[in-house]
Amino acid sequence: MVMLNRWNGKQGEAASAPGARGKAGARRRGRLHKLWLPLAFLLPALGLYAVFFVYPFLFSLSLSFQQWNLISPDKEFVGLANYVHLLHDDVFWISLRNSALYMLMTVPLAVGIGLAMALLVESLWKGKRLYRLVFFLPVVSSIGVISIVWGLMYNPQDGAVNKLLASFGIQGPNWINDPAMALWALAIVGIWKGFGYNMVLYISGLKSIDRSLYEAASIDGAGRGARLRHVTVPLLSPVTFFILVMSIISSFQVFATIQIITRGGPNNSTNVLVYQIYQEAFQFFNIGTAAASSTLLLLIVGTLTVVQLRLSNRMVHYQ
Amino acid sequence: MQRTLRLMEEGGKHLLLITVAFFILIPILWMLATSVKAPQEVFSGHLFWAEHFSLDGYLRVFRDIPFTLWAWNSSVIAGAQTLGQLVVGLAAAFAFAHYRFPGRDALFFFVLMTMMIPPQVTMVPVYMIVNELHLLNTFGGVIVPHLASGYAIFLLRQTFMTIPRELGEASVIDGCSAIGTMWHVYLRLSGTVMSALAVILFVGNWNDYHWPLLVLAEKSLQTLPVAFVQFREEESLEWVPTMAVATLSMLPILALYLAAQKQFIEGFMNSGLKG
Repeated sequence: MVMLNRWNGKQGEAASAPGARGKAGARRRGRLHKLWLPLAFLLPALGLYAVFFVYPFLFSLSLSFQQWNLISPDKEFVGLANYVHLLHDDVFWISLRNSALYMLMTVPLAVGIGLAMALLVESLWKGKRLYRLVFFLPVVSSIGVISIVWGLMYNPQDGAVNKLLASFGIQGPNWINDPAMALWALAIVGIWKGFGYNMVLYISGLKSIDRSLYEAASIDGAGRGARLRHVTVPLLSPVTFFILVMSIISSFQVFATIQIITRGGPNNSTNVLVYQIYQEAFQFFNIGTAAASSTLLLLIVGTLTVVQLRLSNRMVHYQ
Repeated sequence: MQRTLRLMEEGGKHLLLITVAFFILIPILWMLATSVKAPQEVFSGHLFWAEHFSLDGYLRVFRDIPFTLWAWNSSVIAGAQTLGQLVVGLAAAFAFAHYRFPGRDALFFFVLMTMMIPPQVTMVPVYMIVNELHLLNTFGGVIVPHLASGYAIFLLRQTFMTIPRELGEASVIDGCSAIGTMWHVYLRLSGTVMSALAVILFVGNWNDYHWPLLVLAEKSLQTLPVAFVQFREEESLEWVPTMAVATLSMLPILALYLAAQKQFIEGFMNSGLKG
C-alpha cells in the first residue's frame, strides 16, 4: 500500500502541470503553484496575526515612547519619559515584586503537587481515571466564576476556609484583607486551578517511559527510591522543562482572581504587573505608561524563557 | 504476605488521594451546598450540608437575574470563536503539513512564539484596533482578534505530520483539489484530535475573562463570567443566589467535561510534548 502510494506520488510530480508548454515553463509554474497554494491556506491565519499580533506589538512599542490618554486626538512623543516615570513609580516596583513573589509561590508548588499526584495516581491498581477527573476539574472551571466562589471562601467569619480551620481549632487569618496573606490567598487559588494540568502532562510523560528501563534498574539492584531518582525524574525532565516554561509565563498573566477578589489590594499587596498595566490603561488612561510597562513585562518574561532554554541544555535529559 | 502488604499500600495511597481530592473539591462542594440552603442557614449551618433544603436561590436566578441572556451570549461567542479557530487552524495546519515552501519552518516557529508572549503585552493596541474597526461592544470584537489560535494550529499540524505524505499526494493525483485533500484526507483521519481540540477551545473561550471584560461594556452583550461579576457587585447579591448562579454557570462546562473527559485529558496530554 505504501509502496503504491509512493509510486503514485512520483508519477504525480512528473505530470503535475499538464497544460504547460515547455519543460521550464512547467517547472516554473509548478514552483509558483507550490508557493501560491500553501500561502492561500495560511492567509487567514497570517492576516489575523498581522492585524492582531504583529502590528499591535510594534504599535505598543511605539506607544511606549508617547504620551496619550486614549481619547484625545493628539499623541506626544516623550522619548524615554514613560520608562523613567515607571522606574520612579513605587506601584510599578511593588507590582513587579508581587509578580515575582506570585511566581515563586505558585510555580514550585503547582509543579511539585502535579508531579506527586501523577506518580501516586499512576501507581494505583484501580481508580486512576476517577482521581484524574477530580484533579483536572479545577483546570476546566471558569476562572471568573470560581474567583467569586473563592472570594466568599476567604470571608474571615463565614467563609469555608476559616470555618474549616476553626473546626480544627485554628484561628484563621484575615486572608484577602490582610496585606501579609492576600497574595498567598490568590496563590492558593492559582495552585488549586493549575496543578491538574501539570499532573496530566506528567502522566503522559510517565506513560512514555520505556518499562524495560525500570526492569534493568531493578536487576542492577535499584530500589524504589533509586528508580524514582535515577530513572523516572531524569526521564521526566523534558516534561518538567516544558511545564516550568509554560507555568512561569502564565504565572505572570494572573489577572481574573486579582480583578475579582482583591482589586490589587489591600494596599497594593496583590497588585501585579498585568493588573498594573490594566489600571494604567483602562482606569488612569495613561496609555504610554501602560505600553512601557507591557514592554518591560515582555522583556522580563522573554529573559526568563531564554535563561531556562540555556539551562535546559545542561539539565534536561532526553530519552 | 507480599500480597497483603501491597494491598495495604494501595489502601494507603487511596486514603491519601481521597484526602487530597476532598480538599480540591471543597470550593465546589461548598458552592453546591450553599446554593440550596435557606437564607438563615448560610452563616450558621453545616459547611457541606443543607439542613433546610431550599431551591429559592435557583428560583431567584431565573426570576431576577438575566442568567439565560448571559449564558446565551457566552454560548454564541464561545461557539462562533471555536468554529472560526478550527477553520483557520485547519487551513494553516494543512499548509504547514502538506506543502514544502520557503520560509515554512520560520513561519511555524513564529506561530509557536505567539503562544509564548503574554496577551497583555499587546492588549492595549488590540483594544484600539478593535475600536477603530467599530467592533467595541460587539461579539465580533471579542471573537475576531482570537481567531488565529496558535494552540489550534500547533496541535493540528503535529497531528497532520503523523499522516503519511503519500496519502495526501495520492489524493491530489486522483484529481482531488487542495481543499478536497484537506477535507477528505487530513480532516477525516484526525477526527478524534479535532473533537478534542474543539472541546478544549470551547471551554477556554467560554471561560475567558480578561478580553471580554475590556470589549463588552454594554450589559446586554456581556458574557456570563463578566456579567455575573458586575451584577453581583452592583446588586450586592446574597450568597445563596450567588452560589446558585455559580453552580448553574459551571454546569454546561461540567457536563461537557464529564461527557468528553477522555478527549479532554488526552487532548491536553498531546498538547505538551511532541514539539
